[in-house]
Amino acid sequence: MASLSFEEGAHLLRRAGFGGTPQEIDDLASRGREGAVDFLINYNQIDNSALENLLSASFNLTGDGITNGEIRRWWFTRMVNTRRQFEEKLTLFWHNHFATSSSKVQDTFMFNQNVLLRQLALDRFDNLLLKVSQDPAMLIWLDSITNILGKANENFARELQELFTMGINDVVTGEQNYTEQDVKEVARAFTGWNYRRQTPFPFQLNATQHDNGFKSIYAGTPWAQTGNLSGEDVITIICGRPATARYLTWKLFNFFVYPITNSATDKATIDRFAKVYLNNNHSIKELVRAIFTSDEFFSERAFFSLVKQPTEYIVGSIRMLGGTYNQGTNQRGSNTLSTSSRNMGQDLFAPPDVAGWDFNLGWVSTATMLERFNFANTYLTNRNTTNPGVFVTTDQLKSITKASSKKTVKRFLSRLGPLNAGDSIGILRSYLETGDNGQPVTFVNDDATVDKKVRGLVHQIMCLPEYQLN
Amino acid sequence: MAINRRQFIKRGAGAVSVGLVMPRFWMGSLAQGQEIAATNRRIFVVIQLGGGSDGLNTVIPFTDSRYASLRPTLAFKEAELKDAQGNSTILGSDPFGLNPAMSEMKALYDSGKAAIVLGVGYPNQNLSHFFATDIWSTGNTTGAGNGWLGRYADQKLLGQSGLSAVNIGGSLPKAFFADKVVVPSISNFASYTFQTDGRFGGDRNNQVNTFNATNHRVFPVSSFSQAIAQAGLEAVDGAAQLQAAVASYNSTVHYPVATDNPAPSQQVIQFAAALKMVAQIVTTIPEANLLYVQLGGFDHHSQEIGTNQDNFTNKLVGAHANLLRAVSLGIKLFYDDMEAHGLADNVIMMSWTEFGRRPNENASHGTDHGTVTPMFVVGNPVIGGRLYGEQPSLSDLDSAGNLKFKVDFRSVYGEIIDKWLGGDSQSVLGARYDSVGFLG
Repeated sequence: MASLSFEEGAHLLRRAGFGGTPQEIDDLASRGREGAVDFLINYNQIDNSALENLLSASFNLTGDGITNGEIRRWWFTRMVNTRRQFEEKLTLFWHNHFATSSSKVQDTFMFNQNVLLRQLALDRFDNLLLKVSQDPAMLIWLDSITNILGKANENFARELQELFTMGINDVVTGEQNYTEQDVKEVARAFTGWNYRRQTPFPFQLNATQHDNGFKSIYAGTPWAQTGNLSGEDVITIICGRPATARYLTWKLFNFFVYPITNSATDKATIDRFAKVYLNNNHSIKELVRAIFTSDEFFSERAFFSLVKQPTEYIVGSIRMLGGTYNQGTNQRGSNTLSTSSRNMGQDLFAPPDVAGWDFNLGWVSTATMLERFNFANTYLTNRNTTNPGVFVTTDQLKSITKASSKKTVKRFLSRLGPLNAGDSIGILRSYLETGDNGQPVTFVNDDATVDKKVRGLVHQIMCLPEYQLN
Repeated sequence: MAINRRQFIKRGAGAVSVGLVMPRFWMGSLAQGQEIAATNRRIFVVIQLGGGSDGLNTVIPFTDSRYASLRPTLAFKEAELKDAQGNSTILGSDPFGLNPAMSEMKALYDSGKAAIVLGVGYPNQNLSHFFATDIWSTGNTTGAGNGWLGRYADQKLLGQSGLSAVNIGGSLPKAFFADKVVVPSISNFASYTFQTDGRFGGDRNNQVNTFNATNHRVFPVSSFSQAIAQAGLEAVDGAAQLQAAVASYNSTVHYPVATDNPAPSQQVIQFAAALKMVAQIVTTIPEANLLYVQLGGFDHHSQEIGTNQDNFTNKLVGAHANLLRAVSLGIKLFYDDMEAHGLADNVIMMSWTEFGRRPNENASHGTDHGTVTPMFVVGNPVIGGRLYGEQPSLSDLDSAGNLKFKVDFRSVYGEIIDKWLGGDSQSVLGARYDSVGFLG
């Protein structure tokens, strides 16, 4: 069993989750590489009752209680407080993958879809895809409910193939995966898909609107099929194609490991992990286990190779530093986290379009950078520990602060990463040792200095380019 | 709706950012309080009315008996076309009247500053808010691709110095989606700044200096960290300059605020605040010429008129009137502000909404999604005080019971691109449309 260093454990927890305290990282590291990944993936075995109690005390997500703001507050509360970090992170991955937005779909259905994504996050991909496709949010989002016999709507059929499963071209071989004719034929297979207009809004096939004619798909390829294919049949066929295995692997790598290039090496890597999917009955769990335990995941290339998503920036800052998010009560309390995230470019439950968010440099603009810096300032300078909002106490900061300025800077850089920002240590030390008039002052770790300069120091660390990376 | 579209939004392509269109020299060239030389400036303000505003109850065909019969509770009678002061809102000798909530717009029209284009739409109009918004935003009927203003900006504003285009609001409207130019969205000036601990103002310089020092370190070429550092430095530097610039704004025009007596409606306050931000930007930043504001809430499927007190029967008050009042008043105040700053000859405003509403009212004192809508184009350069286009017949509706369009909305865009913005409508819109004539 491969061992796991502190740096590797921190990397694993930042990627599979949002990051944690030194104690959490030490705990992971002590389990070794496979053991740590097992622990994170088998999250059903982690007691999460504290979160569930908090949620039931602070939220009423039934009927009219399900609003735009409430479901966002709910998800941030989960991400900040869950002990099952990978569960939330993987749900975020699927939310981006099956990007559905409240701009068209009612909040109730957005909420229900999120619950579904969480339930099936590690299931067979076939089952996850089928259930998401038959859920009202997707049926509405991609117009399946108006896709009827004789008047097929191609919206879902197209995105199913282009964005949810295979991609237009095979990410490894470059071959075209389907034709425009396939889009039309697949659309016919999904005609009549709808849901009952009654709680809990179950899927139903409107038989009179379903096209029972023969459909011919993927003609001239090894996956050619002709017959009275149903939507379920099509999903099964697509999920068995290597192109789907490769596309899914490619998306997981880009999200969790490092940006994939067009190099032969990267294509070989994708193909290798795609086989894990194909050889394990399309198990998402086995695929992600293989990825997270791989040498690629722990390679130098992977460390800090992604730009933090806004949710990672926000939630990670709280979890790594030991901050507190007071989520308010069901009296419609604070939505500060979701508002900040939206302003940074990631409005949960409202991705920009069906393709999801644009990652890495897509998160970077002057406006979004200012939002990050100002969230950091708000977080670090909020001294109100009773109102809804996000804060970190002076005591908490003092517990991390050391006697010397140099050790203090290093301790916080370690705590918030650990970050490789060695050449900033001198600048940050100098900040701690400079008074209001620019005069040199001696650093002391008393309450007054912590409340002023250590809060300022952490704000500065959260503004480092290195801290924007994951 | 973006669901058929998958092009990546180039929000942050490379290190292109607000900062790159914000030069350092403009503070130096502009003394505090000094008016910006107005020569040759071509300012264009787009006003998006979200939700689909009811065109038939905005520019009202009060003499048409079909209008009255299709709208038993919502139709304005001739006698009702009077504003709060009792002045008629009928448009000269034309068989149309403005909604009585739009008294300021009526004044602008009467003084030749406002043009109205009737019957605006496009072939096979889409009744989905999202698709229709995408279509109007992109200027093509698939709703796919970049925004029309984004394409214009990529062609004309790239590399231009100055904060040349700004969206007022939290998120960038699709009209500004572009390949190269990144347009900043500013929802309020107070938050568009590098904030530091308010408790220790004396430490702010240290904070800013530290930020600059850590972000000025050398980062690997073409790395994410390099792009991030550049964007961060530009943001902090640019924000400071933006703050300094807009701080020099002063005006004799009072934009409504919540503390006014009597208290204005929320819609009036919100829209006026957005236009005040536009005024603050264009009067202090000489390169700022393309601005965008939005007002939502026009989706009046029910209770379009009246209030609880009158059991939703009083046409002079209520949801639609509130919004139209906000639009009318906001535009007039902004016009006055431009005039006070010597910029009235340099500004055109254009309002649009994704569709009009069904001529036949529904059973809830409201209207469902429709098609054709009038557009307002306002400003000294506009040949105003007259109607353009043609009102579609209420006796010749389409199969869904909606009006048939007479003027393609891209004719309006094209005229503004060619005759005001100095662009080429053919390359921005992909085709050349007949011009409407409001710019001569």
